[in-house]
Amino acid sequence: MEYFKSSLKSVLGAPPPESQPSGADTVERLVDRLQSSSLLDDRRDACRALKALSRTYRVEVGAQGMDALRQVLEMDRTDCEIIGLALDTLCNITNPETFDEEVNKHGLKNKIGEQFTEIFIKQLDSVGQILAFLEEFDFRVRWSALKLLTHLLANRPRDIQEIILVSPMGVSKLMDLLSDSREVIRNDALLLLIQLTKGNANIQKIVAFENAFDRIFEVIRQEGGAEGGIVVEDCLLLMLNLLRGNASNQNFFKEGSFIQRLTPMFQLPPETDDSPLSGWSPQKVSNVHCMVKVIRALVAPSGPAQATAACQRAMRACGLLQALCDILMASGVPADVLTETISAVAEVIRGNASNQEFLAGVMAPSTPPRPAIVVLLMSMVNEKQPFLLRCSVLYCFQCFLYKNELGQSQLVQTLLPQGNEAPSLTTGQLLCGGLFSSDSLSNWFSAVALSYALIDNVTQKEQLLRVLLATNIGKPPVTLMQQCVMLLQQGNKTQCKLGLLILLCRWTAQCPTAVKAFLGIDSSVAYLTALLSSQENNDDLQETLLQSMCALLIGLCVYFNDDTVPNYTKEKLCHLIENRIGLERFQDAIGGITRHEVYSRTLKHPQPSAKNPADLLLDHEFCRLLKNLEGIIVKSVLDGSSSHRNNDPISTLTPSESALVAQYKELIREQDVQIQSLNQVNVTLSKEKCDLEAQIHELQATVNHLKDQNLVLRAAQTNFSDEKQMMSTENHIDTTVREDLDKYKVIVKDLQQRLDDSIMKLKEYEHERSNQSKSMLESALKEKMDELEKLQKDQEDLLELLTDQESKIVSYKQKLIALGEKVESDESSGELDTDDQPESSN
Amino acid sequence: MSYAYLFKYIIIGDTGVGKSCLLLQFTDKRFQPVHDLTIGVEFGARMITIDGKQIKLQIWDTAGQEAFRSITRSYYRGAAGALLVYDITRRETFNHLTTWLEDARQHSNSNMVIMLIGNKSDLDSRREVRREEGEAFAREHGLVFMETSAKTAANVEEAFINTAKEIYEKIQEGVFDINNEANGIKIGPQHSPTSPGGLAGNGGQGGAQGGGCC
Ligand SMILES: Nc1nc2c(ncn2[C@@H]2O[C@H](COP(=O)(O)OP(=O)(O)OP(=O)(O)O)[C@@H](O)[C@H]2O)c(=O)[nH]1
Ligand SMILES: [Mg+2]
Repeated sequence: MEYFKSSLKSVLGAPPPESQPSGADTVERLVDRLQSSSLLDDRRDACRALKALSRTYRVEVGAQGMDALRQVLEMDRTDCEIIGLALDTLCNITNPETFDEEVNKHGLKNKIGEQFTEIFIKQLDSVGQILAFLEEFDFRVRWSALKLLTHLLANRPRDIQEIILVSPMGVSKLMDLLSDSREVIRNDALLLLIQLTKGNANIQKIVAFENAFDRIFEVIRQEGGAEGGIVVEDCLLLMLNLLRGNASNQNFFKEGSFIQRLTPMFQLPPETDDSPLSGWSPQKVSNVHCMVKVIRALVAPSGPAQATAACQRAMRACGLLQALCDILMASGVPADVLTETISAVAEVIRGNASNQEFLAGVMAPSTPPRPAIVVLLMSMVNEKQPFLLRCSVLYCFQCFLYKNELGQSQLVQTLLPQGNEAPSLTTGQLLCGGLFSSDSLSNWFSAVALSYALIDNVTQKEQLLRVLLATNIGKPPVTLMQQCVMLLQQGNKTQCKLGLLILLCRWTAQCPTAVKAFLGIDSSVAYLTALLSSQENNDDLQETLLQSMCALLIGLCVYFNDDTVPNYTKEKLCHLIENRIGLERFQDAIGGITRHEVYSRTLKHPQPSAKNPADLLLDHEFCRLLKNLEGIIVKSVLDGSSSHRNNDPISTLTPSESALVAQYKELIREQDVQIQSLNQVNVTLSKEKCDLEAQIHELQATVNHLKDQNLVLRAAQTNFSDEKQMMSTENHIDTTVREDLDKYKVIVKDLQQRLDDSIMKLKEYEHERSNQSKSMLESALKEKMDELEKLQKDQEDLLELLTDQESKIVSYKQKLIALGEKVESDESSGELDTDDQPESSN
Repeated sequence: MSYAYLFKYIIIGDTGVGKSCLLLQFTDKRFQPVHDLTIGVEFGARMITIDGKQIKLQIWDTAGQEAFRSITRSYYRGAAGALLVYDITRRETFNHLTTWLEDARQHSNSNMVIMLIGNKSDLDSRREVRREEGEAFAREHGLVFMETSAKTAANVEEAFINTAKEIYEKIQEGVFDINNEANGIKIGPQHSPTSPGGLAGNGGQGGAQGGGCC
């Protein structure tokens, strides 16, 4: 902050005394007053004036006043008026939007608010302080603090989320605002919470822990439920944030019996005859959209299966599924609401036998009454219905048949000869109609829908083989499969062909009987091989998919072949693939699909995701089938053909050919090694690349950051462009100072160098000295040692002499005794010695 | 489906002591042998019966790792009961109890019932903390104590239920202000808000098979 202020000052300089006081000048005086005045009234006035200037002179107020404002928040905590003013001023400074007043100066999309936010939150506990002000009941303080938090969050979402997450009771304080009787505060708190909970599971959980769902439902109730205004939509958006992808909160929602509280919201008021559409205001459409999304968040196919199943059960038990079906069958429901509701029903019943059964029993209020499913399928094969609605019906039907053996068999049943004429329209008839209609989208929808009757159900695959279609009068009926192959061969649109291939692949997978039937159809195999051998490396997506599916189908005919069609036994088919298509080409074709983004996207989610009719090409379950079988199919084809080869060509090789083969093998081995080492290199390079990218990223972030900071400074600069001269002298001063600085730097460096040298020398010297003295001591020591040795030797000599003398004395004594002389004993001489001592010591 | 009372619990204690396993054993009657580190908190729930009354337990299993401490503190206030867990085969988890307790006392409401749990009692051969030590600690700090095994399910039911009994008694004694939701206690809805009149007729087909949902 201090840095900011001073750098700003040096850029701006002091204004010439005679000119009108500039904005910056005024701001500076106000900030001074705010900071130094001892009178609260005075400070209040200054703060009020600063607030008034903080839009037009946002950069100046922010750059010079932030510390002062912070000081107010700290020191004048008890005065709600000045706190409110200070918070409002900070609100303006950090506003993420550009004010009209500043567009000319700083451009439309400046990041001034974000910059000041960053500066503000850099000081630890700034956010904690603002959170604390939320506890103040006074409107001016609480509302302004809330707005300020909203701005900070908008500018720096991740940072603020992390700060609030770890500030004690932070979330709790925000949640309490939802019960504030002042609607502005409650509504703004709602908006803040929506932003706060975005993408942060930990905050989502704490918010839920703080009884969020109870409070949200309470607000929704107060605001009139689905019929209510935008606040209801905000409530639902928050609810959605808390639930989407958050298994823990979903469990909490279910366990807290909140699913049950959704039901009444879905119960539509009875229609009025005179204005059937009056019930659907744009706001209500938005509300119901969000409500449906809440449901879908709870039963999303991507969620944990057990939890999803529990929610599905609860939704049926509490009448929510019923309420959804009522919307499906009601008239006057806008198409987009209907579309979303159908998808919701789809996910509520998906894989849940009793819910599927429930849908099967729902009747549409038509005359004559028809099952809801039939009515839905009628829309799916009706060209006039909106595309997305038709997609959602397919999804619903797929979910209806998902893991639903009963539903699957009932569908196929409607296609089999019944004996008596079926009196009413059936699902099977509708799908057949769609299959053979002239609308390629209907073809695709119907083929895919039909394929869902066959998933994991060999019985129905065999049953479907029995289906006969009456063609022109006088001609024998054809089987459904024959008809499909025929349609495939006719010049239909690719979309139609893809649909048929999806059906045929599903049909033949795991079902040798169906394979046999397919191989028995005239020119079925010829069509596939022709298609696969004709085009190569086509970049067209539809072509690639077509080839992929053809390759898969022929592969399925190999893998699930029970050798009952003599012309197309496993072995013969493999031979055919090798010769007519080529093994490499075959592999290429079958895998072609997986290289496309649309494949991975479709694989991810069961719901058809195309935005335009022409993009609807792949189906989720088909992609799964391909993913699961591709490997084993390729292997079985390769095995089939290599066994073929092993039997004939290799064994008949001449020695020279064998040598050649060995040579090639060697070559291959070498290349293998090469490939491996190259792969290794590739890995290291990729890693390096990653690292470098990360570095670039980091640098870019820094650059951006600097740019932004620069922006704030430049913005201030342009404001005072008329004081250029001033600035240039400033700049001049600046450069002389810099020169001086450089000079001093050189000197310091020089001194440093010299100091280092000296230290070096000193060390050397000490070293030398210590060496020298050591050797001196050593020689002295040696001398002394020598001396010592010599002395010892002398001593020894003397001792020897002494003993010599003593023995001589003894012999003389004995001689004297022998001669009769009286001789003193040793002891007495000793006594004499001791007598002497006291005298000497005195 | 409807309940007389709802109690909020938290489970706290060092990482790896078996908090998540205790919850899983209590809600799903399963044991999870691999340590699936908890990130932040996870929610679980179950209905129990005390004194003939249905009581819904909402349980927040917190992460023991130090890094999550500031997040998990947000859950102390608003909980009526806490299971403070250590691992009898790792003394350091017992040594940390004082810190946990201080933290809990500082951030929770003063009436929160704390149950001390020495978990992994099935691993008696690797025991590092004697049962008596746990008892002594509990006595000293006014906690209820139990040794449990999330693996064999020994005492797991009891741990959760006894905590609830303790809370229930406090309610009877009037210690808890049950109208303040911040205490982690809620009185059950008098009328189930889930069966609005109009629907009962319409939705009869499905039947209210309440067992599944809560
Ligand atoms: N033998 C035995 N092992 C247990 C018992 N309870 C938990 N474990 C094991 O201890 C490990 C940790 O258990 P968790 O429940 O995941 O630990 P936690 O306390 O939730 O850990 P955090 O989530 O990191 O705080 C797992 O490997 C469990 O299998 C038990 O009673 N007996
Ligand atoms: Mg855990």
